[in-house]
Amino acid sequence: MLRIEGLHASYGKVSALENVSLNVEAGQIVCLLGANGAGKTTTLNCVSGLVAAAGGRIVFEDEDISRLRVEDIVRRGIIQVPEGREIFTAMSVEDNLMLGAWQHKNNQRNREQLAQVYDLFPRLRERHAQFAGTLSGGEQQMLMIGRALMAKPRLLMLDEPSLGLSPILVQQVFDIIKTIHKSGIAILLVEQNARVALDVSSYGYILENGEINLHGPASALAENPQVHEAYLGGAAVRH
Amino acid sequence: MMSDLLLQAAASGVVTGCVYALVALSLVIVYKSTDVVNFAGGELLMLGGYIGLLALVYFELSYPLMFVVVIVAMYAVGALFERIPLTTVRGQRYSKNAEADLVPLVVATIGLGYLLKGAVRVVPYTEEVRRLPPLLEGAPIFIGDVILLKQDIAIIAVTVVVMIALTGFFGWTRTGKALRATSQNPRAAALIGIPVKSMRMIAWGLAAGLAGIAGILLSPKLLMTPDMGNVVMLAFAAAIIGGFSSLVGCVVGGIILGVLQNFVGILISPQAMAVTPFVVIMLILVLRPQGLFGELAFKKV
Ligand SMILES: Nc1ncnc2c1ncn2[C@@H]1O[C@H](COP(=O)(O)OP(=O)(O)O)[C@@H](O)[C@H]1O
Ligand SMILES: [Mg+2]
Repeated sequence: MLRIEGLHASYGKVSALENVSLNVEAGQIVCLLGANGAGKTTTLNCVSGLVAAAGGRIVFEDEDISRLRVEDIVRRGIIQVPEGREIFTAMSVEDNLMLGAWQHKNNQRNREQLAQVYDLFPRLRERHAQFAGTLSGGEQQMLMIGRALMAKPRLLMLDEPSLGLSPILVQQVFDIIKTIHKSGIAILLVEQNARVALDVSSYGYILENGEINLHGPASALAENPQVHEAYLGGAAVRH
Repeated sequence: MMSDLLLQAAASGVVTGCVYALVALSLVIVYKSTDVVNFAGGELLMLGGYIGLLALVYFELSYPLMFVVVIVAMYAVGALFERIPLTTVRGQRYSKNAEADLVPLVVATIGLGYLLKGAVRVVPYTEEVRRLPPLLEGAPIFIGDVILLKQDIAIIAVTVVVMIALTGFFGWTRTGKALRATSQNPRAAALIGIPVKSMRMIAWGLAAGLAGIAGILLSPKLLMTPDMGNVVMLAFAAAIIGGFSSLVGCVVGGIILGVLQNFVGILISPQAMAVTPFVVIMLILVLRPQGLFGELAFKKV
């Protein structure tokens, strides 16, 4: 479904990605793991068209999308949930969600979609009239995911959805990711929290200093001693 | 006697305050949607006035038609300025310090100001000092002891209509909401498929259109010269009073400034009127940088 082939990217003269290749097949959850500064966000931004690729190809369903505008990439169903709390703070929760459906003009269908999102996130329904800026960190993360669902994604790219959340909330977010996946949406999941990410994924890539240095089925990665050492705190090796 | 004078001064201050409010809103829309302080706001107002003059006197259009011509022409000027020079400048810059990237954009607006002044001077029509005919003619209206010209009423009415229309636009329409979303978080807006470049063009177009309307409203009251854009200082002061963020803030700021300026003229001296906006800007920036409505800045536009 998504094929990244030999992607290069740089900020000015500083190279951020070197020869990154990865695949996401329809119906899969694939994770991209790596430490802070490894280039995970840059990879997603290249796919979304926010950062121009300096080399390589990004192919979505047999179409090279690496030169398309951001809004045209969204139109093809590739939706990124960015890192951090990127919401419209001074607008209501419902306005935030409805803006997610900006490219879809069928109001009737958008309303139905909204009801589904509220079913997935009852907290958002309760707070639909509040300013989004008044939500807690976890609720804001839910809002960003809900907003992305309003855009009717075919491939959902999540950038560190567990960042800054308590373990209980992380569990909730990942349960929701599983639910979304079951509804048939492919997911590219960027995480530093390798344990939870590998747990839900079927395949994983490990990015280090802008290069993929390891990839394989998630179960194999979870048992790989190198991965343990670097990303799982070495815990399993000890027991 | 003195109180009658002050009442009259207050009433005419409200009228000029309306014009300052329109220009202030023009500045705020640009600032909020592109982070750029637009130093060409005054020249856009001046250009609007001259386009109005050409339409009305040279092409002999009716007043309503002239309004449409000015709004459309100014919208195009604003949108094109955003689309060509600003987008180009933005595309070339790359540094981690986003603030530093804004400097060339602001300089570009200063350049636009000089360009517009220069361009207007080249048009032979502008050599002679002129004035637009009043919006509405006829006997002045008395409200108690206060006298208002029909055209003053028209200025207030146009401002009210424009402000209501914009409130509806930003509050209820798809495009208006997308503009607000883009100004609050351009990255998030782009990622849900809102065309950020087009939104910036619309914002500049609206802002230039507003400045143009202000130009039409002001030109019957002032002598028109290519330097008439200097009134923008009053709009800056009005916007700063209002916290540089909301429509309501611009209206309140504009009216406070219009009235204050007239009071200064009567109570202190007419010469002091010219420095009023600067003093207000300094006082607000020092004492209450968030403006009178700082805490409401969260809310609108
Ligand atoms: N806007 C930017 N300007 C310059 N350098 C950047 C920018 N964003 C990221 N970088 C650099 O690119 C590298 C990769 O960053 P990023 O993709 O954000 O990593 P990650 O998401 O894995 O933490 C880092 O060295 C970072 O400093
Ligand atoms: Mg990142």
